[in-house]
Amino acid sequence: MKMTTDNDEKMLNETFAQMRVADPVPSEDLMNRIMLDADMVLAEGATVPQRPKRGLSAMFRDVIGGWPTFSGLAAATVAGVWIGAAQPAALTDLSTGLWGDTIEVPLLESDLFAALEG
Amino acid sequence: MTDSAKILTDADLLAAFSGGDRSAALELTQRLTPRVMGQAYRMLGNRAEAEDVAQEAMLRLWKIAPEWDPDRAKVTTWLYRVVANLCTDRLRKSGRGVDIDSIEEPADTAPSVAETLQDTARAQALRTALCDLPERQAEAVTLRHLEDRSNPEIAEIMKTNVRTVESLIARGKRSLIARLAGRKAELGYEDDH
Repeated sequence: MKMTTDNDEKMLNETFAQMRVADPVPSEDLMNRIMLDADMVLAEGATVPQRPKRGLSAMFRDVIGGWPTFSGLAAATVAGVWIGAAQPAALTDLSTGLWGDTIEVPLLESDLFAALEG
Repeated sequence: MTDSAKILTDADLLAAFSGGDRSAALELTQRLTPRVMGQAYRMLGNRAEAEDVAQEAMLRLWKIAPEWDPDRAKVTTWLYRVVANLCTDRLRKSGRGVDIDSIEEPADTAPSVAETLQDTARAQALRTALCDLPERQAEAVTLRHLEDRSNPEIAEIMKTNVRTVESLIARGKRSLIARLAGRKAELGYEDDH
């Protein structure tokens, strides 16, 4: 491609400037329409309050049913831990009834051989 | 509008609008609409359609205001993309490209009719030459010389780097000069230079 001269560059820049001048100026009517849209969006913002962003803990509380349910769940969990840790006397009575005596199962291999050897 | 408001960025004004400040919307409308309108007019070649696109683009700006993240893009860059997409949709739906012949002539405000006609002829010749350029070159040249964007901003819009933008603009301008060279006498350039 041939080299361009300063005159060529000047010619092009002048033509760009003419094109920019030829851009239509926005009409008063258009500016008013745009501001009416802005007013409408502002009015919608005023009548429809935005929902605040919510944290995970708040969403979790909603899923399980709020604080009353949450405290009920906590109480049930504590009760479950207590039941698991406490000796279930009723269950001991039931196993004795079924097997007659208490059954001892050796946990170590050496205990098992000792039992076999008498 | 106060002096302090004049130095607010577009993003600052958008945040103020989002907070309910109507005067921020007025300032943004006055700042941005001429540029939006110019871009739409150059793409569509029709004043009424360009006004519709400008109104739609600004409406989208108002609606996105509460979610605007100034770290993600400049307002003008975002608007350029919105206008380009709206214009492309219109051109596609109507099954036309940019119709050079349909571009209206500007109002006769120049000192003389002869000069106005010559300016118009030059502008038309340049529009035609721009349409004949490869798309990326035409976009880079248009953004630099008609939209008055900086090279870094053009790189952001075109999703490329500044060096590529410089190369696209340089090649585009050389092509334009070559295309206009054969019409210098017809366009009255030889009288001027």
